[in-house]
Amino acid sequence: MGSIRFENSGKTYGNGPGAFLALEGVTLDVADKEFVAIVGPSGCGKTTCLRMVAGFESVTSGRVLVNGKDVVAPGPDRAVVFQQFALFPWKTVEENIEFGLRNKNVPKGERRDLVQGALALMGLESHASAFPHQLSGGMQQRVAIARAYVLDPAVLLMDEPFGALDAQTRVVMQEELVRLARVQPRTVLFITHGVEEAVYLADRVAVMTRRPGRIKEVIDVKSVRTGEKWDDLERIEDVMDTESFVHLRTQIWKSLREEKIAAN
Amino acid sequence: MATEASAVGLDRNQRTDEKAVSASVAGRKLPGRSKWRKMLARPPVISALSVAAVLLIWFAATSWFQLAPAGRFPTPQEFWSSLRQSLFAGYAGGTLVGHVWNSLRLVVIGFACAFLTGVPLGLLMGSSRTAEAVINPIFSLMRPIPPLAWIPLAILWLGLGSAAKVMVIWLAAFVPSVINSYTGVRGIDKSLIAAARMLGTPRGRMIGEVIVPGALPLIFTGLRLSLQAAWTTLVAAEMVGALTGVGFVLNVAQQDIYPSMILVGMLTVGVLGWSTTWALAVVERRMLARWPQGRS
Repeated sequence: MGSIRFENSGKTYGNGPGAFLALEGVTLDVADKEFVAIVGPSGCGKTTCLRMVAGFESVTSGRVLVNGKDVVAPGPDRAVVFQQFALFPWKTVEENIEFGLRNKNVPKGERRDLVQGALALMGLESHASAFPHQLSGGMQQRVAIARAYVLDPAVLLMDEPFGALDAQTRVVMQEELVRLARVQPRTVLFITHGVEEAVYLADRVAVMTRRPGRIKEVIDVKSVRTGEKWDDLERIEDVMDTESFVHLRTQIWKSLREEKIAAN
Repeated sequence: MATEASAVGLDRNQRTDEKAVSASVAGRKLPGRSKWRKMLARPPVISALSVAAVLLIWFAATSWFQLAPAGRFPTPQEFWSSLRQSLFAGYAGGTLVGHVWNSLRLVVIGFACAFLTGVPLGLLMGSSRTAEAVINPIFSLMRPIPPLAWIPLAILWLGLGSAAKVMVIWLAAFVPSVINSYTGVRGIDKSLIAAARMLGTPRGRMIGEVIVPGALPLIFTGLRLSLQAAWTTLVAAEMVGALTGVGFVLNVAQQDIYPSMILVGMLTVGVLGWSTTWALAVVERRMLARWPQGRS
């Protein structure tokens, strides 16, 4: 079970005349097992939205709720996958994945099984005792995803997770994430500035306005995906070639471009 | 000669035929020579040669050509006999081993005190804004005071014995440990802290498995500097007021106008500093084995 609710959420940094209004009246619902991507012009506060759900930052107006409860602090029920992976360099792959489970006081035997499962899920079995710096960027991000998945979180928060990867690796990871979403569906909030990525991965894509950020429109991708049978296509480029995909991508691009032009 | 040959060999295409032939002849000789060069170019060999060169210059300047004024500038033979004297007959109230033992003991105790207090204090300052605000003003004021300026007070309080020296060494070694541990914590990637919070890490484990490991490479940098400061301060403290120790040897030898014994004292400090630093480096390599290369 996992749902996210932004209820007229706002964020102001500082106070008085120097105050900086980052977000204003963000309203968005993410249902259980739904994959929602947020796209927006840079500096619109999309990462702030994610950080508020994670509990790294608090709302200054409105509310942010997970499973109907206000977010107060970070916790393992809201697992985050960071752009810069944020793996502990002095811990092995296995130890990184196990760390959250130890904090949750999961018994040792159960922990081992869960870690093995997560390693298998992300194809990391042969790297269990490697250190992060011995792995490629794509592999490191697999570890970070495994570390998040193993906690069985209510929601999964991904902050431009593939932004630091090269183009080829990014495509592999995107396909991997779609596979994961089919095998083990989770409630996902995915922040990106890549429109194609958002359309390819998400059930719905929320477009944000320029600063102060609000949700401008929410575009339904899932009905198109099931209607046009994207899932029958094996590769990302085949999906991206379909007329329906191109249409959605263009629609979101136009919406985003309006914001960029208005910002200048 | 070998360099010349290889240089010819490199751009022989641009040479006339005649020269190209001679170059290839020279080139054929190269493997033998480069073998020698390879062996001589090994760092330990170069280091040994460098030490040998200094010894040679020393011999040349003193006992062979007497370029340096005799009496004030000791010859290697004089140094050797002073070393034997200090080791077997004893000097300044004890054998060299006794002096070394006393000095080493004080450095180890002072360094240990600095490590046990400085590192935790630095970690605390790095991880708590409140602690930083409390400690920083006092620390900033104390920090510019040279450790040697504490000697008068230390002797006044604790006398000429070990305690005063330990106190001064502690103060000297304390500062780099604090500063580097503090910087180490501050330098930890913010996303690692965020990840640890997201993973629900309890306070104790946060310190033990995230903050300390994250700061560890810089903690060791601080400890190396602390050790260096400990030796510097010890020798100075023993020269000002002591009844034993390597610094005391230096002081007595100066009063006796005994240059070769001064040299014995100096080289002893050098060897001690070098070997303790090496021992610390061994510990560091062991402990940082898990850290990515280049970060330590």
